[in-house]
Amino acid sequence: MEGTQLGQIPAKATTGAGQGAVDEVDLTPVRTYWQLARQRFMQHSLAVVGLIVMAILVTLALVVPTITGSLYAKTSLSLANHPPSLLNPFAPLGYDSIGMNVFIRLVKALQTSLFVGFSAVSIIVVVGITVGAIAGYVGGAVDNLLMRLVDVVLSLPSFFLIVMMVALFGTGNAIVVIVAIGIVGWTTAARLVRAEFLSLRETDFVQAARALGAGDRRIIVRHMLPAAMAPVVVAATLGIADSVVVEATLSFLSFGISPPEASLGNMLTNAQEFFYRQPILILYPGLTLILVVLAASFMGDGLRDALDPRQRVRK
Amino acid sequence: MSGQTWADGAAIEPIEASASLVRANGGAGRVLLRAEHVVKHFPIRGGLLGVTTIGAVRAVDDVSFEVRRGETLGLVGESGCGKTTLGKVILRLIPATSGQVYVDDRPLFDLNATQLKEARRDLQVVFQDPYASLNPRMTVGEIVGEGPLVHGLTDKAKREELVRELLAKVGLNQSHIHRYPHEFSGGQRQRIGIARALALNPEFIVCDEPVSALDVSIQSQVLNLLDDLQQELGLTYLFIAHNLAVVEHISDRVGVMYLGKLVELADVDPLYAAPKHPYTVALLSAVPEPDPRRRKKRLVLKGDVPSPAAPPEGCRFNTRCWLREQLGNPERCETEEPVFRDVGAGHLVACHFSEEVTPQAIASAAERQLPVIGA
Repeated sequence: MEGTQLGQIPAKATTGAGQGAVDEVDLTPVRTYWQLARQRFMQHSLAVVGLIVMAILVTLALVVPTITGSLYAKTSLSLANHPPSLLNPFAPLGYDSIGMNVFIRLVKALQTSLFVGFSAVSIIVVVGITVGAIAGYVGGAVDNLLMRLVDVVLSLPSFFLIVMMVALFGTGNAIVVIVAIGIVGWTTAARLVRAEFLSLRETDFVQAARALGAGDRRIIVRHMLPAAMAPVVVAATLGIADSVVVEATLSFLSFGISPPEASLGNMLTNAQEFFYRQPILILYPGLTLILVVLAASFMGDGLRDALDPRQRVRK
Repeated sequence: MSGQTWADGAAIEPIEASASLVRANGGAGRVLLRAEHVVKHFPIRGGLLGVTTIGAVRAVDDVSFEVRRGETLGLVGESGCGKTTLGKVILRLIPATSGQVYVDDRPLFDLNATQLKEARRDLQVVFQDPYASLNPRMTVGEIVGEGPLVHGLTDKAKREELVRELLAKVGLNQSHIHRYPHEFSGGQRQRIGIARALALNPEFIVCDEPVSALDVSIQSQVLNLLDDLQQELGLTYLFIAHNLAVVEHISDRVGVMYLGKLVELADVDPLYAAPKHPYTVALLSAVPEPDPRRRKKRLVLKGDVPSPAAPPEGCRFNTRCWLREQLGNPERCETEEPVFRDVGAGHLVACHFSEEVTPQAIASAAERQLPVIGA
């Protein structure tokens, strides 16, 4: 990293000196906003751990099910309750009570959960930012209307709303689960963005941009959204953890993704049924869930620091 | 002039061309900006849904004045008197409740979006807080170059050249172009803000307390910079401040505001030597005396500034006016709003009894207050 930046210095120094004798040469390497953000993120060791764990989980979730195909749903009763064994590379976590390969199933479940988590958060972020930005920027009656809508959504017991939607529009369908979580969850993001926009609209730098003749789109995209993004990114990363937990809860209550499809929630349900025979089965999906949630939370913390340009980059 | 070099290349709208023509012909002394009966009321909302208007904060209430080309018009007043709001309203950064501002006889408040964007090239602003006025996520180059970019200078290399020129002009190191605002000191940041305002080659700059947030040692540097730039580029300033010494130093004419109204407007020397409004007298008597051996007689106003949501009837200053007390509380002050009138040589005052503001009257008012000050 240092090497590549050092390479830029001579060029910088000559242009600086060429302009006039008054100039002292600025030897600070030129770094963009994103380079600085990445450096700040890298200084946050827990966040880096979170990122690594998340990267491993995502890679596993993408690679293993592609190789193993539909094996996650295959039952072979002869292998039922086979104990975990590291000696068996094909089934290191053994087989469950109906002879399904626990490892393959766990990775498939992880894939489902992450898919649900990321997709639901995408809906939350897109809807939340749009609604919040419009409310905060336009203000007045529009703001009032949108915020009352938020109040209505917030006043409904969210989990029952999700259960109801899933029950009505198709139990066991991941898409329905995602949309349900999204519809219920966008309110927090909308409120965050609106609050940021309300205060940003009055800041001097936004006023200065307006005085320069910048249009609404430029002011929103260039000046207000980047400043409003930090809390949203943090909320979104934490939202991934939330969504994964909600999906697991739904599946645990048999409203979410049902067998033979795999999800961390329905694996927990399954493990709970056979708790006395094979208690260890509850550990795998449980631990995976904890890993996902912790990794997302740590990343959220790191991102919050990284996206604040006033945080110093330590040398 | 730097701004011109690129503007000439890009398609320039007539307004810019005519404005610079006037400047080239030495149009000093002619009216550049005329504010007529500018009113800004902020509604106080209440009711169940918060949509019913239950009152208004009269931040700016019927203010009229002119700014002449090439001059610096100072605007002073206490905190909350509406100076900053007035500055933002005449730049159309916040919409006026009523009134009109004419820039070169064009009605600013009636311009459509395209015309307004063009007009903004001539009207710029430097804000008070050098920390809040620069976007922390943009480099100095992006900040200063934004105006030219918005107005069609899309060539990145040309823009950077212009920005470097501007940085040099405001006394900043050109090689700092890729740095972020938080890497600079307050004074340097204010210079960046000034460079941003200059980037569009404006005629008129509203300086909204540009030095209030700076160290005293830095204040004079920034003031001198503003002064030099005015000489060099023929700029016109509306200089808003609460520091009377600073305003005296930089202004050609000075307006005094109280509770959303302009109460006095005159050339700087007559105003400081012989103020005609009792409020200005009191304001000036609050300027600290640098010589500790000289005992200065001060006129201390009683009470607080009334709420701008419910200003007093008649003259707004009548609740605190020492002159009114001295004259035996004439009823006129409470019933009739004073006209902003010319009391000679363009000295405008909004007081029924400004002829009574004599050195003797001031001295005797201060005399009566002396025991209070000593206690």
